[in-house]
Amino acid sequence: MAHIWPIGGGKGGTGKSFLTGNLGILLAKNGYRTLLVDIDFGTANLHTVLGIPHPETSISDFINKKVGTLEETVVTTAIPNLYFISSALNSLDITNIVHEQKMRLLRSITKLPYEYILLDLGAGTSFNTIDFFMISNSGILVTTAEPTSIENIYRLIRSVYIRRIRQELKVHNFRVLAEEAKTRDSRATEQNPEILLYIIKEIDPERGRVVEQSLRGFEFKLVLNQLRKQDDPNIGALICKIIERHLGLKIHFIGNISFDDHVHSSICKKMPFLHIYPYTQTASDIRRCYENMVSLKETQLCIHGVAE
Amino acid sequence: MNPFRKQNHYELLEISPGASPMEIRRAYKNAFELYKDESIVSYSFFTPEERKEIIAGLEDAYLTLINPESRAEYDRTLIASGAVEEEAPYYHKTRDPISIYDLRKTHADMIGPRRRTEDLKHVVSHNKLIQEIMSQDSLTGADLCKIRKELGISLEKIAEETNIRISMLRAIEGDDFDSFPPMVYLKGFLKSYARYLQVDEHVIIDGYIKRVGKQHS
Ligand SMILES: Nc1ncnc2c1ncn2[C@@H]1O[C@H](COP(=O)(O)OP(=O)(O)OP(=O)(O)O)[C@@H](O)[C@H]1O
Ligand SMILES: [Mg+2]
Repeated sequence: MAHIWPIGGGKGGTGKSFLTGNLGILLAKNGYRTLLVDIDFGTANLHTVLGIPHPETSISDFINKKVGTLEETVVTTAIPNLYFISSALNSLDITNIVHEQKMRLLRSITKLPYEYILLDLGAGTSFNTIDFFMISNSGILVTTAEPTSIENIYRLIRSVYIRRIRQELKVHNFRVLAEEAKTRDSRATEQNPEILLYIIKEIDPERGRVVEQSLRGFEFKLVLNQLRKQDDPNIGALICKIIERHLGLKIHFIGNISFDDHVHSSICKKMPFLHIYPYTQTASDIRRCYENMVSLKETQLCIHGVAE
Repeated sequence: MNPFRKQNHYELLEISPGASPMEIRRAYKNAFELYKDESIVSYSFFTPEERKEIIAGLEDAYLTLINPESRAEYDRTLIASGAVEEEAPYYHKTRDPISIYDLRKTHADMIGPRRRTEDLKHVVSHNKLIQEIMSQDSLTGADLCKIRKELGISLEKIAEETNIRISMLRAIEGDDFDSFPPMVYLKGFLKSYARYLQVDEHVIIDGYIKRVGKQHS
């Protein structure tokens, strides 16, 4: 089964598409059959990062049932082993994808015959984005060293956390337990899922343990992109520390990627960064992050409500 | 943050019950850096109240553990509650046989440079008096003198090896503020002094300057 790496992070412009494209290139170069999927339906631009300005097919062809299988929307790239599903030609109303379509899409993605499937997610922590981020237990988060971006990482992580609690408890139990929890401790809200779970565990230890067990299955990864010279290089590791310590979630710090104006030039030239600036610090940072990611033992693919 | 609040002092500071005063100091400093108001890593994770609570907890842990008496008492309650093993606390560790070298007998000054460094480091990290002095908030000249004597090193030897005038070394150990050079030079001297003794130069400089700063600036 494929390793699926959803790449998200809450804030826009942190470098999710940039990282997806360049990780994809490295995976393909190392001989892995790799597929990149642009899940940023409304504001797609992974095709540009990859240097494919006009892909012929698009994910919307599958969603609108113009084609029968998701496989038919895959396009090849100039790089051997690297395949791509674009969102470039999506119709403008595609962002209102309905639940049923989304589930069909999620299911289809997990069945595609590739070794690695990378999903480039949009900004924000909308319901849809979280669903795709939770397609596997080992989502990748991209942040910069700015407080606004870090703030959104926490927001995304807490959204995932509360979603997992809901999934495990199922609708009815969740509602009952959440209400009871709130009467016991006013801080036990969905905005503070860790406190909510703590109180739920007091009310119903059995179910609380099940949820906790499930949360332990996550193994997130964090990349700190656009690190500038004046930034503290330890920020990424400290973010992971806060998340592990206070949410009890596993998250690996993958590495820093230096800020470099050449990234901008590569995007303006519509050429993959690693191809035209392979000898920059930023390029070697990306390669190191790549090494760290593939060497981490993958956790079992786990999709709630997706597998039949 | 209930589960966090329930952690004991050692868990809060992420140290073992056998931690030395220096480790406690370092752990507190690191934790404070992470949870203080200005930390961009934690500011958006906590509400101001949660942060205040965490900082208060860390301070309480630090103050309890850094004082030998309150620490011993705290350890007793932990042991009584079964949270830590009786063998774990610090004061048990320090009673273990420590050094194979008794530097006062082997005379550190005569050992080759490489050996000398390693032996000194060993003694520094196992000598209870030195550890206690190094964990103080500030250091006097007399404290430095005690450390030096504990290591069996003469002032003359330091003067010779570091090229610092012996009168200056005497002034430093004697807290003779009037004879001090400008601050930058003083820091440089303290650094060489600390390095020769193989003790943490930052601890020495910070601890010493803290007192001097008040009277000599
Ligand atoms: N390491 C870097 N050094 C310099 N600039 C960078 C770096 N990484 C990304 N950028 C810049 O940030 C911009 C945004 O990158 P990218 O489009 O990958 O972000 P994104 O997270 O996908 O954004 P969105 O949320 O809008 O999809 C790029 O146009 C690029 O100029
Ligand atoms: Mg993008």
